[in-house]
Amino acid sequence: MTVNADVIDELREIVGKRVSVSPSELYCYSSDASQVRGLPDYVLRPLNTEEVSRIVRLAYEREIPVTVRGAGTGLAGGAVPVKGGIVLDMSGMDRIVELDIDNIQVVVEPGVIQDKLNEALKPLGFFFPPNPGSSAMCTIGGMIAYNASGMRCVKYGTTRNYVRDLEVVLADGKVIHTGSRMLKSAAGYDLTQLMVGSEGTLGIITKASLKIAPLPKTRKLVMAAFESAELAGKAVVKTFSSGVVPSACEILDRVSLKVLKRYDPNLVLPAEGDVILFEVDGTENSAREAAAQVMEVCSGLALTLKLAESEEEMTKIWAARRLVGAAVSRLDPTKSRIYVGEDVGVPMKQIPKLLEKVQEISEEFELPAMKYGHIGDGNLHVALFIDVLKEDEWARLNAAADKIHRTAIELGGTVSSEHGVGAARGQYMELQWGPAFGVMRTIKNALDPKGILNPGKLGL
Amino acid sequence: MKNGEKKEMKQVKTGKKESGKKESGKKIEAQGKNQIKKQSFEVDQRSVYKCVQCGTCRSVCPVFEVVGWESANTRGRMLIIKSLLEGRDPDSDVLSSLATCTTCGICAEKCPAGANPPKVVEAARAELVKQGVVGEGQAKLNATLTKFGNSFGETKSRLHWLSEAERSEIPKKADYVYFVGCFDSYRYPEFAKKTFEVLRKFGVTLLQDERCCASPLLRTGFLESAEKIMEHNLEELRKTGAHTIITGCAGCYTTLKNDYPDEFRVISVPEFLAEHLEELPLKKLDLTVSYHDPCHLGRHNEIYDEPRKVIRAICELKEMKNIRENSRCCGGGGGVRIGYPEISLDLAKKRLEDVPEGVDYLVTSCPLCVRNLRDAGGDVEVLDLIELVALALE
Ligand SMILES: Cc1cc2nc3c(=O)[nH]c(=O)nc-3n(C[C@H](O)[C@H](O)[C@H](O)COP(=O)(O)OP(=O)(O)OC[C@H]3O[C@@H](n4cnc5c(N)ncnc54)[C@H](O)[C@@H]3O)c2cc1C
Ligand code: SF4
Ligand code: SF4
Repeated sequence: MTVNADVIDELREIVGKRVSVSPSELYCYSSDASQVRGLPDYVLRPLNTEEVSRIVRLAYEREIPVTVRGAGTGLAGGAVPVKGGIVLDMSGMDRIVELDIDNIQVVVEPGVIQDKLNEALKPLGFFFPPNPGSSAMCTIGGMIAYNASGMRCVKYGTTRNYVRDLEVVLADGKVIHTGSRMLKSAAGYDLTQLMVGSEGTLGIITKASLKIAPLPKTRKLVMAAFESAELAGKAVVKTFSSGVVPSACEILDRVSLKVLKRYDPNLVLPAEGDVILFEVDGTENSAREAAAQVMEVCSGLALTLKLAESEEEMTKIWAARRLVGAAVSRLDPTKSRIYVGEDVGVPMKQIPKLLEKVQEISEEFELPAMKYGHIGDGNLHVALFIDVLKEDEWARLNAAADKIHRTAIELGGTVSSEHGVGAARGQYMELQWGPAFGVMRTIKNALDPKGILNPGKLGL
Repeated sequence: MKNGEKKEMKQVKTGKKESGKKESGKKIEAQGKNQIKKQSFEVDQRSVYKCVQCGTCRSVCPVFEVVGWESANTRGRMLIIKSLLEGRDPDSDVLSSLATCTTCGICAEKCPAGANPPKVVEAARAELVKQGVVGEGQAKLNATLTKFGNSFGETKSRLHWLSEAERSEIPKKADYVYFVGCFDSYRYPEFAKKTFEVLRKFGVTLLQDERCCASPLLRTGFLESAEKIMEHNLEELRKTGAHTIITGCAGCYTTLKNDYPDEFRVISVPEFLAEHLEELPLKKLDLTVSYHDPCHLGRHNEIYDEPRKVIRAICELKEMKNIRENSRCCGGGGGVRIGYPEISLDLAKKRLEDVPEGVDYLVTSCPLCVRNLRDAGGDVEVLDLIELVALALE
């Protein structure tokens, strides 16, 4: 890409001063939270659909790549303009357009931050359930485009399950609606679901109607430690088959536990073992019953069992669990957590096997690995740590990540359960999908014949 | 910033090489000849590479909230500094990115990777000053401070708020010395008067020739100029034989405590008042007030409880929406008030949105916060803690 003065003038005509070509500004938009890098030629901050449509039309005519960006907290480089061109920073389109409680839905612009939406919904007794760890900073647009989710998706589902209608700007600048406010529809292809998870490669989301859910009255937490990951896995399977659907079901492997305990021996976590945190929610009665059921299921299998009912105690346990990412670097300031190979998923039953394999990989490449994640939906997060100033550690890190991805596919799983593919995992798409990947290519070519929308992503 | 327009960010370079805005399009490796070579940009690499770009700070950086561009948030600043370390040219936006940080420190509080961005920003500013890359406002500030020993270019005595007679009574030697600071000396002499009124009863003295604590110079990277002023103040402090310095300005406090040598105990006025509550004849007042934690007193030095203890001894306290570690910056610090007054005021206005309903006053314990919050022109009157104390002593 080369920068063209005419293009700058035309872009200024559309967004005024909200376009930048300053090298420092461009540099700030050359990465997200992943290791992917690519410098844009122009950064724009549109404020409405009309502006987005005009920009995309111009880009289409001039064949300039357009990469959409939410908060840039993605972990796969989805928002990084690897082919240069325009970056559209959507974070200024951050209005909550409508809180339509009567229809149990909201209409938002894509730049709304997840937590902000929930702040607005809380007094009304509702919430938008998908809760990635980045909910304090990530945008709804980014969540939809990545089909993001969090630990509560085991009960509530992923972002996909909450999107009813999207306003989308297509590659030629045309604006469409993909759905309606209806609860159901049997008319035609489901374009809404096609857009969810499309990572900005098929269209630009400029508005979204989202389903919301009533806030549960109460939550309870059962913390269980097991002698092995196998036993922990067994307890999870038994819990589900007993009819309980936990609102969160998280695993923290023994290595992670050891590191956390070394970091702070007073953390409210078991002394040893592989730990499962079962959270249940609902009314006081239903939550109590569900917690009792989990306790019963685990009683024959667990080394230790603990029920936490007070808000304070639960907050402490979740806070301890969240330290996973930070504990290693706090113990050893030369070590940083680098997000690669961090989001694989396998069928739930394969989790113990995956844990074992990842531990082997960690030993093979001599990299400390903490393993934790949403065992209830088969999603294992691997936190790998290196000294970023040492080149050989980067090489080992990338080799380890590659092996982790391939292991997940071998076990019948996926290279990404919630963080997306972007430019970081595109090379595995063919391997994971086989001929189905060809269908994805066909769809992409049909909707974006000039290939201007987020080129270089999804392995396309 | 709601209208989405980029705030005007003025900057000049006093260095030899013109930076100029380059039209971009070049890939990262192809940034042309580097003015600053890899090793010559001396900011501790480790402290910069601690940032793993997660973006957590993006949700709290108050400057970003009003400016809107990535370069105006913590992560952007860390990235820009990283790029300088890797040999990129410091173009004009480098300066505006770094100079708009108020050093409020809320990013450091939230950073899961344990980075300390305001410290990194300060180090980078110092490095840019060394290279001769300086903003217009910053350059002026340095010149004024160096020439007049205060940030306002005032020529009258710092103790003008005392009568001749009162001045002659200032003890030469004492265990405690009250460090007044530029703001209270020249903009809020009534605060200085009220503070000294209370302190003198405890045998506290004043410096004969106090100068600016050097905080504005340290925060904006003029380390050499700062050292000279600090040296002068140190001499003055030593002359009094005091073991403890008391100050009512959050900026002076953090500077005296963390940047001066550990020769003296440094305490803030709220700490002193809280320690001596029993000895003060405070009346209860039928008032409800709220309290704004100054960043440099709260987050930077964890002085949260003492001012609250003093307030509760006088009247009701109704907290703001974001308090203590989560308190939002008033926009006054880090040289932003001087360099980017519009951004600074926008921050103050945002902060006033956190004031709860039904309070008589918003109290704080830093004259810079008082000034910025007053200038933002909200409905609630802003008081320094010492003013509230003076009301209760009447
Ligand atoms: C500390 C941390 C924890 C995280 N935890 C989780 C987690 O638990 N679960 C999880 O799922 N993810 C997690 N993530 C990843 C990331 O935060 C989420 O995927 C998030 O949804 C990305 O949102 P964003 O606004 O930052 O999007 P960006 O990173 O800016 O963009 C993401 C993708 O969406 C596209 N996009 C953005 N806006 C639009 C739009 N309006 N129209 C079309 N496409 C668009 C971009 O092109 C890109 O491909 C985490 C990240 C971090 C740093
Ligand atoms: S929170 Fe810390 S690690 Fe994350 S982007 Fe900000 S400074 Fe970097
Ligand atoms: S110190 Fe404050 S203003 Fe500076 S980067 Fe951090 S949050 Fe932003």
